[in-house]
Amino acid sequence: MSSHAEASEKFIADAERTDWHDETLWFVREKRDKASKVLPEWEALREHASQIKDHTLANLGSYLQAFEAKAQANGIHVHWAADAAEHNAIVHQIIAKEGSKVLVKSKSMLTEECHLNDYLANKGIEVIDTDLGERIVQFRNEAPSHIVLPAIHLKREDVGETFHQHLGTPKGNKDPQFLTEAARQHLRGHFLASEVAITGVNFAIAETGEFVVCTNEGNADMGAHLAKVHIACMGIEKIIPKREDLAVFLRLLARSATGQLITTYSSHFHKPREGQEMHIVLLDNGRTRQLADPKYKNSLKCIRCAACFNTCPVYRRSGGHSYHQPVAGPIGSILAPNIDKKANADLPFASTLCGSCSNVCPVKINIHEQLWFWRQDLMAAGLAPVGKTIGMKLMAFTLAHPAIYRIGGSLLRRFSGMLNTRLNPWYKQREMPVAPKKSFQEWYKKR
Amino acid sequence: MSAREQILGKMEALEPVNHPGNFKGASVDFDFQASLEVVGARVLTAEELEIQFPGRRRYDKTMDGLSLAEVEVLEIDGEFGVAENGAIWLTEEAMPHRVAPFICQHLVINVSKIVPNMHAAYEELKKPSSSFGLFLAGPSKTADIEQSLVIGAHGARSLTVVIRA
Repeated sequence: MSSHAEASEKFIADAERTDWHDETLWFVREKRDKASKVLPEWEALREHASQIKDHTLANLGSYLQAFEAKAQANGIHVHWAADAAEHNAIVHQIIAKEGSKVLVKSKSMLTEECHLNDYLANKGIEVIDTDLGERIVQFRNEAPSHIVLPAIHLKREDVGETFHQHLGTPKGNKDPQFLTEAARQHLRGHFLASEVAITGVNFAIAETGEFVVCTNEGNADMGAHLAKVHIACMGIEKIIPKREDLAVFLRLLARSATGQLITTYSSHFHKPREGQEMHIVLLDNGRTRQLADPKYKNSLKCIRCAACFNTCPVYRRSGGHSYHQPVAGPIGSILAPNIDKKANADLPFASTLCGSCSNVCPVKINIHEQLWFWRQDLMAAGLAPVGKTIGMKLMAFTLAHPAIYRIGGSLLRRFSGMLNTRLNPWYKQREMPVAPKKSFQEWYKKR
Repeated sequence: MSAREQILGKMEALEPVNHPGNFKGASVDFDFQASLEVVGARVLTAEELEIQFPGRRRYDKTMDGLSLAEVEVLEIDGEFGVAENGAIWLTEEAMPHRVAPFICQHLVINVSKIVPNMHAAYEELKKPSSSFGLFLAGPSKTADIEQSLVIGAHGARSLTVVIRA
């Protein structure tokens, strides 16, 4: 598996396409800016949302239990899963009991985290991803590259070709309207036929035991309201205390994600439909570990808006696939190492630490600080990139020994070409500065 | 130990942090009709509606989910609209079936009460809530293909709103 640096080197080899990807994401950022500046209370809303989340996390256990009690009283089956494997087994068991071999699923990053589709495929169950962007990447056997805009890395020609292959649309047709209509007809059949529907959860309310699912397409609802069994998959951090708190989050979410005033549909599931079975699976998968660590606890405030992706200069110019796991971008880089330190050790280093992510985060997660904390933790665990580790150790040694510093400095000034070598990671794609004739110390002595 | 016990067991009491309470100071000067247009909904008067959709089906509790798939134009009543974003709160009781506002090809909603923003909206929703409700803002849409906005994804292709006095 390629590291972020290796993968992004391939990505930016196509300079024109990289520029296009960069501009496209920045355009989404600008839409967010426009939508947020309309509200004079925007910063107050961010602070309020941040405080609600801080309070919730400090009382997560009691809020989860309150949610469970209310949800159960309303007829919703509540399941708990310690890790991804348990989550997948629970979901499979529910489906197997019903007997379906094909089912529909709306967007859920949590199910990506658990690799649910692959797990179910191995059990002979086909999952149809119904979000248009997700269906496109599913046809292409790719992972989504963005948690809100899964196919943002594709041009309309790519989608046209994919639909030609899988849906029989005319070759060369790349009209988004036409292609969307084709997807509508194709997925409508699946909605009408599916007895089981899986959705994610944007927010779960402890006060009422209800959960909220937000979409623009209506695909989550088209699946859930026609299905005999609705399975909602949720990370334990998605709880919020009261119904009225939703006002704050629903005002922030769509504006931060796409610059829209609100998603087309914000569906509040309180009780199952008559005759329907409704399940909710609460997943830990390392979230409690993050909760217990004061450095990373704030990452659990995330509402998965992807505003941080759209502003990040590294994400914009390397693409989501360079992050080699389901949640890319800045938030992904602080969540993923918690799930697998070794596999994701490169991600916190894929950053300039510019802080733009923290600036746009609607719930005020200190993402750029956590990237830095992770670097220190990974360095201490011996998982930092080898070249950097050695380079840092050499530098630390040199700076700590004045004599060596002076000798090293004069050697560099005499043979400044020494640093222009592939062994120097800072030389790659940079010109090393021209060395002065004298060091400051030498000049100062002779002045 | 069950997963539930495992998970709850890892949640020791952290440093207490107060809930900040209800949000104060939200903007109230929004135009519902302007917001409706922003989210892609069309506003008609009652007379114009008769001319535009003479063959529409009014909400009828006997309609089942799958037969609704054949309905071209469905008319239902919304509880209230939110001026800040053009969203309309709909409840299960106002629909033939939960899938109704999604599965019909074109949707017509009557609304008379308007609140300024989402905070006011959730003030309205403090009363015992329906088994299912949603904020619906405009026709279904997607920009998943190269950020090109397409109206009419999986839900209704169009939304027409009649603001009744």
